[in-house]
Amino acid sequence: MTTVQQTMPDRDANLAEVTARWRQTATRTGAAERVAAEQGVLACYQAAGLAAPRALVWFDSPLQAAAAALLLTGGSAAVRARLGEGRAEELFAPVAARLTAAGVRAAAGGAGASVREEVRTRPWERSRTRAHERLGARGWASLWSLTGGELWSQSQALSGRIRSAVAELLDRSGEQAAEDEQLRAAGEHDAAELLRERVPAAVAAVRLALLDAVFGQHDAAWLAAQEAAGELDGELAGLAQVARAAGWWWPYEEVVLLTERPTELHRDEAGRLDRADGPALAYPDGFALHVWRGMPVPADFLAGLAGLTLDRIQAEENAELRRVMLEHYGYDRYLTDTGAEPLHRDETGVLWRIQLPDDEPVVMVEVVNSTPEPDGTSRTYWLRVPPRTRTARAGVAWTFGVPEEEYQPLRET
Amino acid sequence: MYRQGDVLIVPVSPSAVPAEGEQAGLTGQQRDARGRLVLALGEVTGHAHAVVGPGELLREPGAFGAAWLHLPEGGRVVHEEHAAIPLPKGWYRVVRQREYAPGAVRVVAD
Repeated sequence: MTTVQQTMPDRDANLAEVTARWRQTATRTGAAERVAAEQGVLACYQAAGLAAPRALVWFDSPLQAAAAALLLTGGSAAVRARLGEGRAEELFAPVAARLTAAGVRAAAGGAGASVREEVRTRPWERSRTRAHERLGARGWASLWSLTGGELWSQSQALSGRIRSAVAELLDRSGEQAAEDEQLRAAGEHDAAELLRERVPAAVAAVRLALLDAVFGQHDAAWLAAQEAAGELDGELAGLAQVARAAGWWWPYEEVVLLTERPTELHRDEAGRLDRADGPALAYPDGFALHVWRGMPVPADFLAGLAGLTLDRIQAEENAELRRVMLEHYGYDRYLTDTGAEPLHRDETGVLWRIQLPDDEPVVMVEVVNSTPEPDGTSRTYWLRVPPRTRTARAGVAWTFGVPEEEYQPLRET
Repeated sequence: MYRQGDVLIVPVSPSAVPAEGEQAGLTGQQRDARGRLVLALGEVTGHAHAVVGPGELLREPGAFGAAWLHLPEGGRVVHEEHAAIPLPKGWYRVVRQREYAPGAVRVVAD
């Protein structure tokens, strides 16, 4: 049988290397390489036929830079009104001081218009069109799936998380981030119009300021595809250089706002943000996201996990947070401490059920890893399965999406 | 069927594999820098369930998309923390273990 994707080992190995390199770029932490990033920015302006910006100003996080963007585009008044003077001052004063120190007037019109279209979107579209023409639609789709497609969902999720955290701190309503994604998909000009019509002034101002951002290292997915298509030597070279050297950045006619990379980035094996004893993502100014296995949690929630008790777990009314507590406490410990009874036992493992007040029960299969650990012990682990599961075999079979009667491994390691 | 950690490898008849005309949504998995076909990759440790030897892996898009493995000469699936499993020649469906979460389903991080 022949397949769509004829195997070409050399090409595939090369695509894998390109993808791996951009994966590293996307997750890199530590101080930005400022000189390289600034050279990259200037190359972008030159490639777009724009005059060089007169100032490049560095900020510690996307939050600070978004605040600067609000000051420079006139959106800060609406945000000030919403946040209250004290909180607004705390946020905008240091940012304004940094702009002033760089010789930039920290007020509406101080930076000129956004040139994101010119330096990022149009060159990107031209390069994609060239790649399309060269490779054909199917060739491009295949190339994308082997490069950018591998990185897309995580980099997309990460920048989405950052954007909604910034929005939440600036307008106290980050919950509509999903809607933002739809708006963005509708095209950026239309999105700007829709935002102005649909949402209150402060929220719209913040989202518009965020629409001006270029994601730097978090643009890794599409840069990987462009590199694989041989498109990074030309007009995209500057964008790639900034992405390799720094975090998010905001290009305006006269001023560019650049940001540092995170100081902390912690993910689990599935690539989700995950940390139990501090922020999963943090920037030098303290802007941070607290996330446990992909689920955003309040910062003080994690601090309280160390002293968890059965009573506290059962008293938690938020089902999502209770799940986090259970996972942190340890299902095994919880099963012992609550005196839970096994529902069923067979050669695949043990099925447990925990009744919870006002929530569906937690039903789990307890499975023993077939390959012993280096110390000779076998690791036991618990997997949550749908509450209606009746046997351990049905539970394990469900985790692999096969019918209970068909789950018969010949060999397990 | 064979199981290595959080990956299940189920033998299938060639007729169960999407025919050529139906493969538009599938992509051929690239080999990694060591020339292996990676069935599932641990993001942080870099440990992988991987096949050594000739063959190909066709994937549907998405974390839960189906994948089909063709081993014309048989092969071995290896992992840094699990014993290797020899596989006879033929076609297989490759399934990643998942976990139930209320309102969602999550990929297991092995």
